[in-house]
Amino acid sequence: MHYLLDGFLGALRLLAHLDAETLAIISATLRSTGYAMTAALVLGLPLGFLLGYGDFPGRRFFRLISDTLLAFPTVLIGLLVYAFITARGPLGHLGLLFTLKGMAIGQAVLALPIVVSWTAQAVEDLDPRCRQTLLTLGAKARQLALYSLWECRYAVLMVCVTAFGRVITEVGVAMMLGGNIRYSTRTMTTAIALETSKGEFAQGIALGLVLLLMAFVVNLLLALCRKRGRT
Amino acid sequence: MTALLYEGVGLIQRYGEREVLNLPRLEVEKGAVLALTGPNGCGKSTLLRILAFLESPAAGELRFTLADAVQSGEAARRQVSLLLQEPYLLRMNVQGNVLLGLRLRGLRLSRPEAGRIFEQVMWDVGFARPKDFADRGPAELSGGERQRVALAARLALDLPVLLLDEPTANVDAESARAIAEAVSAAGRRGTTVLCATHDPALIRALNAQELRLGRAWDEV
Repeated sequence: MHYLLDGFLGALRLLAHLDAETLAIISATLRSTGYAMTAALVLGLPLGFLLGYGDFPGRRFFRLISDTLLAFPTVLIGLLVYAFITARGPLGHLGLLFTLKGMAIGQAVLALPIVVSWTAQAVEDLDPRCRQTLLTLGAKARQLALYSLWECRYAVLMVCVTAFGRVITEVGVAMMLGGNIRYSTRTMTTAIALETSKGEFAQGIALGLVLLLMAFVVNLLLALCRKRGRT
Repeated sequence: MTALLYEGVGLIQRYGEREVLNLPRLEVEKGAVLALTGPNGCGKSTLLRILAFLESPAAGELRFTLADAVQSGEAARRQVSLLLQEPYLLRMNVQGNVLLGLRLRGLRLSRPEAGRIFEQVMWDVGFARPKDFADRGPAELSGGERQRVALAARLALDLPVLLLDEPTANVDAESARAIAEAVSAAGRRGTTVLCATHDPALIRALNAQELRLGRAWDEV
């Protein structure tokens, strides 16, 4: 069991000395996750709101599609996005394969159904009297949308946090589209997988600790959201 | 002869196959204070939602003289305020809720001005110390207080039409008295009031003319 202890102590040393490679991995992870979450939220929040609040033909069908995509396997997402951004693909000329942006596209595709479906659910769960109240107080269409979204803000925040957790801990898309390139597209999850396969536990554990810390922060945020949402 | 505010002919509302309102004729004069009475399920709440332009009747014609409801439901809706039977307060503090309608109408109030309006309407609905309630959340209010805060939000708008759906149904005697006084004062100021209620004390306090809706849908 001493190798586990050695790995743990080595991990603490890496973190304490701000090891350059470890920091590069953390930075790549946060940047790709940031790009992916920005895209997923910009597209997903309005779409989710429309699906939850709107009344248009095909709404139920689109909702079903979005819900089905929640179970989309990450390797399949990786495969599909790979097919588009590979040199021979329709977006090959953009040179996105094995870059952070390419990785972020796949992660955004992963996060999008979560943001859309759960935002729609949050909006559907709003008390119907909220809409009537806003209308009788004189809200115009845009105000009605904004205030309704604001009214379910804690539920929407939980959606964001959940999507963030899903993206940052994902490994399949990052491996296929990023290529796990050192000092470039190596993320925490792909690095852990690589280091473990080499028997190098120290960096794997160090990164695992950082992931664990992030998971803790994410869950702390969720708990705060739930608490505020109840009041 | 006083001018008509609402004029309805053959108003019918259906939810699915079920007919929930059938009103051959309705005339409401400007400045009238009317109590809508009748048994449960006779369509009082439905009629109020139609008069508030939250829904359109399945059949019949409704004329509203303050705005062209056909051309702009929004313009008509902005002349009318409706207090729901179980009012909903948004997840913001009491002052935010009371002044929400003014903000939605684009009024930019200075802090002292907002405070003055808030205190006045809260006083009108029976809060002796409005400032004590300004920062409270909806969850910190009793049922009667919520009802009165919701009414204060409507009174702050000072609109020509005030519709109320059983405002004293779920509140204590003190809140019911405060609500009756506030609505009565609005009526005296010239606001047209339509109040669905089963409460004879409220009808007396409002000195309201009674419009009885029946299940047989007698002409009103």
